[in-house]
Amino acid sequence: MKQKFKRSFDELQNIVTMTETVFREEGIQPELRHVVDLATEELFVNMVTYNTESHEDILIRMDPHEHGIEVNLTDYNVERFDPTAASTVDVDAPLSERTPGGLGLYLVLKMVDSIHYEYRNRQSSITFIVDRKE
Amino acid sequence: MFEIEFGDDDTVMVECRLDAAQAVKAQTFLDQVAGACVLDLGKLEYVSSAGLGVLLKTHKRLMGSGRGLKLINVNHHIHDIFRYSGFDKLFVIVPANE
Repeated sequence: MKQKFKRSFDELQNIVTMTETVFREEGIQPELRHVVDLATEELFVNMVTYNTESHEDILIRMDPHEHGIEVNLTDYNVERFDPTAASTVDVDAPLSERTPGGLGLYLVLKMVDSIHYEYRNRQSSITFIVDRKE
Repeated sequence: MFEIEFGDDDTVMVECRLDAAQAVKAQTFLDQVAGACVLDLGKLEYVSSAGLGVLLKTHKRLMGSGRGLKLINVNHHIHDIFRYSGFDKLFVIVPANE
């Protein structure tokens, strides 16, 4: 299934609805939902927040993959930004040194099983896989 | 539909999904809180980094006066997120099964 979304946080509920549909129709394990929801939101929000020069919709594609799901987000007419190369977060730092910045991509990289970034013809495409643990 | 409101004994009840679209609503509510605060997350289904940012900002503000947030009834999905984020070292967290 694929669907385009406007560059707005208000689309998050529509993305959740799409994810629910894919999980139901493809019979994907419900215990994977949390990680899929988190990774999809964080990557979508990152595109909306930082690729401000683009006014084009963001395409999300979700397909079954072995024992889980493959999700791709494509952003059009943007500069290169590789979320897989995002700097790490010191989660052991004391409260006084903690800031929320960078935590979203950090969690994505920690929680998905694989992630791949591609940049071509001013299109940023990021694909991640979440699989059931055997 | 995300909801945040005072429950019994001034415990703050948080429900549904705390995502980037709801972070401003949550922050606006929590900015009114002073002193020690208990957040009951028993009906919170989902939290993203935007929600974590709200909790962190509020906790830091309250800790400035020696108080802070206590997070109770935390389900295992959200507890995982807290653990990956290092929040288990910053907050008092009570899982849902205790």
